Amino acid sequence: MQRYVIVGSGVAGISAIEALRETDRSGEITLIGDEVHNYYSRPGLAYYLTGELAEEYLFPLSRNDFKNLNLRHLQARVVSIDPLEHRLRLNTGETLNYDRLLIAVGASALSLNIPGNDLAGVVKLDNLEDARQIIRLARKARRAVVVGGGITALEIVEGLLARGVRTHFLLRGETYWSNVLDQVESGIVLHKLQEEGVQVHFNTEIEKILGNRGKVAGIQTRDGQRLACDILAYAIGVRPRIQLAQASGLKTNRGILVDNQLRTNASDVFAAGDVAEVYDPFSGRSVIDSLWGPARDQGRIAGKNMAGASAHYSKPIPFNVTRLANLTTMIIGTVGKGVDHDLVGIARGDSETWRQLPEAIAAQSDFDVNRLRILVGQRTLLGAIVMGDQSLSKALHHLIINKVDISAIRDRLLQAGAPLASLITDHYLKLREADARTLH
Amino acid sequence: MNIKKFFRQDSVRRTALVQGFVVPETSRCVQCGICSYNCPINIDVRRHAWLGIPVKDSHCLTCGECVARCPRGVLSFERTHLFAE
Repeated sequence: MQRYVIVGSGVAGISAIEALRETDRSGEITLIGDEVHNYYSRPGLAYYLTGELAEEYLFPLSRNDFKNLNLRHLQARVVSIDPLEHRLRLNTGETLNYDRLLIAVGASALSLNIPGNDLAGVVKLDNLEDARQIIRLARKARRAVVVGGGITALEIVEGLLARGVRTHFLLRGETYWSNVLDQVESGIVLHKLQEEGVQVHFNTEIEKILGNRGKVAGIQTRDGQRLACDILAYAIGVRPRIQLAQASGLKTNRGILVDNQLRTNASDVFAAGDVAEVYDPFSGRSVIDSLWGPARDQGRIAGKNMAGASAHYSKPIPFNVTRLANLTTMIIGTVGKGVDHDLVGIARGDSETWRQLPEAIAAQSDFDVNRLRILVGQRTLLGAIVMGDQSLSKALHHLIINKVDISAIRDRLLQAGAPLASLITDHYLKLREADARTLH
Repeated sequence: MNIKKFFRQDSVRRTALVQGFVVPETSRCVQCGICSYNCPINIDVRRHAWLGIPVKDSHCLTCGECVARCPRGVLSFERTHLFAE
């Protein structure tokens, strides 16, 4: 009987276990995780913070689901791996032998290294315990300061706002998430935040956190400005948790390096999810990312291969849908700065045509802001951002992920004042009709 | 409520149900659970999204709560065209 050990109880680990069980009903599976709450939706914490979701709904699997997976769960930390002996040691002193091992320990938040970061009231949003702490603090807090960027910073800002805390958001420059969003998109997000009552401070860098009796009392900026607050929250990025792999002699760069079957350089040791660094055919180099979908897909492929298959993982074009200042935002492909000169960026405003796709019944409502940006390559669309109304996002997703030839509409897309939405919609519908004819 | 009215209501509901159902787009889903949380009759919509299967549960009211509340646009109605003219 094969002995499988999965380290990490996030989506990559769970997805690997499901794939293992599809092939091997009887093998022994041990899930080891240091997360006290076991498997839950990490992205769901944003909605837990805003009060849109009750805590018990963060857990996708019931006790019964876990029972059906027939596994042994250990809440522990792995302190060392001996790949030659196929053995690992836990912080509890226990040792375990494995035939196949998966490391799916994810990434963790970088800490804010400034004076005062040990005061009570300094928080991040990395896990469920952090979310609980923010909610506890928000009950009494009147003012909060949030520093950092990306999606997480906004999740904290919106969570605090929903809980009635007056919130300041500090930006080092003049734009938000500037390597993904352009100035207009950043402006839309920040304007929406300001409308909701957030005080946005531009060109402002925090120097130290001020305390009073061990608690956060305020912050001081580099230019000497002081802001009183009871909470200082930060979200300045995450880093793959590679220390264990490094100490065990596995090849690492920024993440654990894996081949296209998600194997590390050690035999029978696999890695998946946020901790893995995977070759990306899109950019031609190995990359790390922190996305739910790829983590799930990698877990599934790793699980299959642990059970004896030779499945290949081909990194798809990166894609995410998130909510920025209450605007559903789809980000796909190459949209950030530093793009190829072959690209031509197009930005345009709203169009009613977006809402005329036959299968699209709008899932969101009351949008007063829409934004579409597409990046047009020689023959294909290379990236897109859709903010607000998502009627067009399915078509764009299809055209970009499948690298559909858009030569027929390319010139028209690039004309000034082009009706982008109807051009894209028509092209997508023609393709679907052609597909349907082929099927019949 | 008289019996005719009762059956008419039931018939309307069932017609609505077979005309369309909720379909997930798995690649958008992060299993946050807002859909399941807001389902008035406790269908585990999230599980459907994980497995990539439409909500064809005979109890689904097609009320649209899950579709409207999903923050990532995972869910949509798809028509079955059973009653197409």
